[in-house]
Amino acid sequence: MIKVVNLKKTFGDNEVLKDISVDIQPKEVVVVIGPSGSGKSTFLRCINLLESITDGHVYIEGVDITDKKTNINKIRTDVGMVFQQFNLFPHRTVLENITMSPMKVKKESPKVAKEKALVLLKKVGLVEKANAYPDSLSGGQKQRVAIARALALEPRIMLFDEPTSALDPEMVGEVLEVMKQLALEGMTMIVVTHEMGFAREVGDRVLFMDGGYIVEENVPSELFARPQHARTKSFLSKVL
Amino acid sequence: MDFRMDLVIDYMPFFLKGALYTIGVSLVGILLGTILGLLIGMGKIMRNKLLALPFILYITFFRGTPLFVQILLIHFGLIPLVIGQTNAIVAGIVALTLNAAAYIAEIFRAGIQSIDRGQMEAARSLGQTHAQAMRYVILPQAFKRMVPPLGNEFIVLLKDSSLLAVITVPELMYWGRAFQGQYYKIWEPYLTAALIYLILTLSMSYLLGRLEKRLATE
Repeated sequence: MIKVVNLKKTFGDNEVLKDISVDIQPKEVVVVIGPSGSGKSTFLRCINLLESITDGHVYIEGVDITDKKTNINKIRTDVGMVFQQFNLFPHRTVLENITMSPMKVKKESPKVAKEKALVLLKKVGLVEKANAYPDSLSGGQKQRVAIARALALEPRIMLFDEPTSALDPEMVGEVLEVMKQLALEGMTMIVVTHEMGFAREVGDRVLFMDGGYIVEENVPSELFARPQHARTKSFLSKVL
Repeated sequence: MDFRMDLVIDYMPFFLKGALYTIGVSLVGILLGTILGLLIGMGKIMRNKLLALPFILYITFFRGTPLFVQILLIHFGLIPLVIGQTNAIVAGIVALTLNAAAYIAEIFRAGIQSIDRGQMEAARSLGQTHAQAMRYVILPQAFKRMVPPLGNEFIVLLKDSSLLAVITVPELMYWGRAFQGQYYKIWEPYLTAALIYLILTLSMSYLLGRLEKRLATE
């Protein structure tokens, strides 16, 4: 479903991703962990080309997104993204946040877009907030709206960039619950997170990144119980 | 001091006619300057520095030289060059527009760049093109922040339109000077003109204040 081949990314002289290759299967939930500065977020942002790719290839369902001829806007409707800082549009209501892109990008009628949005809001438990503005929501509610907004384009892949890192502790659960539900429905997901509990419970595979490389990958039970590399051990000993 | 109110009252029709011209050239200048300023502001923030260069030079020239010089250049140089002869009102509007556009471009640039980068990223991640993200996400938010500095610029432009008197645009200050020439009076024409300018700028601040309030509650 997603195939990353020898991905490299540099910012000026700073080589953030050194050589990343990974294959992700449909319906797989891949959790990416690692210390800050390890390149996790950059890796995720390369998959929908929010960061330009310095070298290597990323294929989404067989399409090389590094090819200049690829319509990246079309690809991005298939690859939803949820940000640490939510990035809701503060000048639009919750409902309008969700319906905007289906209407403008996919040319859905307002009626259809609204019906779908309400279904999604129900799914994330926020129907009653449809006409509220984002500023009036709690962090957990904002992030759930952001998830609904990404889902409105009916993506086949969802990327989560530290979705709970900016939340107060008591709101982490409600967001993880929505993500878990999504995983159970068979969404292909890549999740960058520090929530080891989520990784263990929901992840099919965990990638441990450090220094621009994938140092180790395994099923969560194995990786957490028997890390093979010294760096993985050292990282896990600090966070667990 | 002997203030001749009767002369002021006699001359009032000219002042009012002048005020209408002041309002007219200012409004046209504001409108065209805003449109041009938006385009130039967008031009300046283009990633390609070579393409952005003409816009940067434009802003540098029009902000870095006096409006008075620009008015004379445009009235006696540019307009005759383009249409064969000069026309004070056309030259005046062109000068105000080109000058205001440089300042407005900077207001737009600052407004756009003040919006968090995450907004553009979110819009792009949802499949929007750069232009769609600008139109539906960035500009509506930036516009709110631009209203106060734009209001300032509009008031400056209205006052600067008085410089057009020297190229015989029959606006408020033109009639003030005519009054002085006719009656050899100083206080009467210029205090009257100042008062009318004050009324115009205060009305404008009032309207802009209302707009700001309305945008804030939206």
